[in-house]
Amino acid sequence: MSNSVETQQQSSKFAEWIKRPYLRHVLLIWIGLTILLEFFGPVQARLMGAPASESMKAIEDTMTLFTYAAAPVAALVIAVVLYSIVGWRQPKGAGPSDESPAIRTNGPVTTVWVIVSSLLCVFLLIWGLGEMNSLAPKATSAKPLVIDVIGNQWAWNFKYPDNGNIESNQLVMPVDQPVIFHVSSVDVVHSFWLVQLGVKVDANPFRVTLAHVTPTTLGRFDVRCAELCGLYHAHMQTDALVLSPSDFNQWIANGGHA
Amino acid sequence: MSTSTRGPIPNGGGLMRRLNLGTAIAGGMILGFIGWYVSGKVFGFGDGPDNAWGRDRVWIITMTLWAIGFMAGIGAFVGPIRWVMGKDQKFEDQMYLAGKNQGISRYFKFTTDHKVVGIQYLIVTMLLFFVGGILAMLIRTDLISKNTEIFGPQTYNAVVGLHGIVMIVATIIMVTGPFGNFVVPIMIGARDMAFPRLNALSFWLIASLVPILLSAVFLGGIPTGWSAYEPLGSQAPPGMDSYLMTIIIFAISSGVAGANIVTTVLKMRARGMTWNRTPIFVYGVVASVGLAIPAFPTFMASQVISGVDRTTGTVFYDTAAGGNDWLYTNLFWLMGHPEVYVILIPALAAMMEYLPVFVRKPLFNFNAAVIGIAGIVGLSVMVWAHHMYTTGWAPNLNAPFMLTTELISVPTGMLFLVFVGTLWRGKVWARLPMLAVYAMLWNFIIGGITGIYLSDVPVDVAFHGSMYVTAHFHYTLMGAGLVGAMGAVMYWFPKVTGRMFDEKIGGWGFWISQIGFNVTFMGMFAVGLAGQPRRVGSYSALFANGNLVSTLGAYTIFLGMLIFLAAIIHSWTAGEIAPSNPWGAKTLEWQVPTPVPLENFEVLPVITSDPYGYGVPEKTHEPQLESVHAGDH
Repeated sequence: MSNSVETQQQSSKFAEWIKRPYLRHVLLIWIGLTILLEFFGPVQARLMGAPASESMKAIEDTMTLFTYAAAPVAALVIAVVLYSIVGWRQPKGAGPSDESPAIRTNGPVTTVWVIVSSLLCVFLLIWGLGEMNSLAPKATSAKPLVIDVIGNQWAWNFKYPDNGNIESNQLVMPVDQPVIFHVSSVDVVHSFWLVQLGVKVDANPFRVTLAHVTPTTLGRFDVRCAELCGLYHAHMQTDALVLSPSDFNQWIANGGHA
Repeated sequence: MSTSTRGPIPNGGGLMRRLNLGTAIAGGMILGFIGWYVSGKVFGFGDGPDNAWGRDRVWIITMTLWAIGFMAGIGAFVGPIRWVMGKDQKFEDQMYLAGKNQGISRYFKFTTDHKVVGIQYLIVTMLLFFVGGILAMLIRTDLISKNTEIFGPQTYNAVVGLHGIVMIVATIIMVTGPFGNFVVPIMIGARDMAFPRLNALSFWLIASLVPILLSAVFLGGIPTGWSAYEPLGSQAPPGMDSYLMTIIIFAISSGVAGANIVTTVLKMRARGMTWNRTPIFVYGVVASVGLAIPAFPTFMASQVISGVDRTTGTVFYDTAAGGNDWLYTNLFWLMGHPEVYVILIPALAAMMEYLPVFVRKPLFNFNAAVIGIAGIVGLSVMVWAHHMYTTGWAPNLNAPFMLTTELISVPTGMLFLVFVGTLWRGKVWARLPMLAVYAMLWNFIIGGITGIYLSDVPVDVAFHGSMYVTAHFHYTLMGAGLVGAMGAVMYWFPKVTGRMFDEKIGGWGFWISQIGFNVTFMGMFAVGLAGQPRRVGSYSALFANGNLVSTLGAYTIFLGMLIFLAAIIHSWTAGEIAPSNPWGAKTLEWQVPTPVPLENFEVLPVITSDPYGYGVPEKTHEPQLESVHAGDH
């Protein structure tokens, strides 16, 4: 009996609460902005260009997914900001108000806020770990092609140790075959960046770092240096060609010439 | 005992009466020249192959002696020397040092009054921003189109590195320097800092390093980016010596300032100012300088090692010779990630401090604000290697560092809750500092979310070293940090200068710079997404539109900032005279007269509540805390 009275009181309290005009306005702005920002979700992936490998595809999907997840959060902050500017501003010329409610804190709101942001954080982490796991090199039947990547001020050199140590200043890879890069440098730190394939690892002097990728698209892509390496850092770029297996074998047979 | 009744003190000061900025510069020049000449004779001035370390020895010795001569000339050593001679300072000497009855000249002396030190910091910060801003304009002009090269790659790289380090120094001191010094002691009800002479020392060390930093312009620049990775750094010209000496002196200064501010807040809060009644800005400043205490010595160590490698042929960082360049990278980022929060936290805390004043509401969930700040501080020392995901240093640590980095979003989210909660239903007094809070929230949400993308290891693989990162950290450090500092300038302007800030001119400047800011860095996000690397002086045609947009945006920022600067100068010299508490704020600094008397309070206050007792208590909620504030007596 007393329970139902309490429930009634609570529900009428809620009904009263939700009827407050500012609350409905903020909710409306929040929902509207969220929808607007959700449309923005795929925009960044679009600007990143068509992915040319599974890694790049995973990166672009992550950007889109994180944007979907972040949109309501950003929208909430901006909704309160907008309503504060429009709905709660004192008229021009009026001084400060002495009628603001003295809200010191709000337990339930704080609790929900912290729980939701923690859950979002856990989601980010689990997603990231899963992504890292799925991108880790897998033992496959296809023997990976090893390419030595050597940075020097200010050019990239590529060597194919399994193919008679062919040297090239363009990166040439066959499509759909796993590639392992053994990356190093002979002078300062460079960063080997295969832009459209989502590969980046530093080229450290006198050390070898590893990176791997399986190109999935035929075409001409960009290799750039992503770590300031001195005078001509900006010009330390070359092409990456992804060829069909037969074209690649032809290229090898020609000793690294097309 | 009132300060105003003491009258002039004719005999205090002694030698300090003769020392000022002029004697400091003279002392620095004389000692620096002697150092340069003698060490040049010994080690050789040239930089031929037979003299690999000589020029660096010469410049490091010259700069060290400049700093020592400068500090001697300003009188930094007079106190300790008198003490060791058994002639410690008398009361009159201390009053002289505090700048009593010296008018404008006290700003050019080793003055211990925390208010003078605060204004000195403010001026130096603005000077550094001006220099850094000009450098930014040079960078953006070079990048306006893909074929403009107003200078060659050597100069371009030098300008980029110098812009970076000048802005880093400026942003680190921009809030804790001016307002940590001017405002915090009054805010906690103290007459000065715990160690007033250390306070002057910390400022004059900063003053001594500014010429050293700028000397890089004449010594080949800092063509390594501000991170100065090894072994690129060891290839760099003696401009690197300017860099490492700057960092070493800066670390001493920030250590001294940090110890001083932390001690002051721990020991000198007014009676009754419990931690629950201590204003949030005080927490922000203590968090910032407290975080700097472990962070900058690491940076200093990294640069001392650099200096030893450069001058004596040790090989700490030389991998080929058995050293390890990743040692540098780790030491650098051990400082580098706490450092962004050293910049950000006090700027956000300043806004948390004055937001309640303009909405006339208590700060929403003070405890969440404190825990948010503490959580950020704690986590920030455990995230440094997210700058190193792609180095290959420790791939197995990428996942744990991703965890710590993403965890920061929780305490940061709590700070957002505090802002949003304080805005909620607050009747807004729409003055310019208040509007700056909106701008900060807009920028910080963008900077924060792009930071979350970058915390993800695979995503960072795509963006590390690209313009996307550059845009991201400008959104946080400039969009949130600098905007917070600009808000702080506008809010405390009446107390610091005694005049009201001109919100009309200032508003034009502020909003023009905000529009320019968003245009600039949205353009930069776009070219970053498309794959433009950072720190490049020329780029492929693919990035042309985005760069043009960024450059036009940057010019707009510069225009806005010039107008804002004009508003500061105009208001400071000819603004309307400010009443002592124009905002009706409840923190202590607004309860003392303007200009603030030398010893701040005639009678030290006793605190009976926190300073956020605004608004009408709501009946529907639990009983409210009593909100009678103490400043009233």
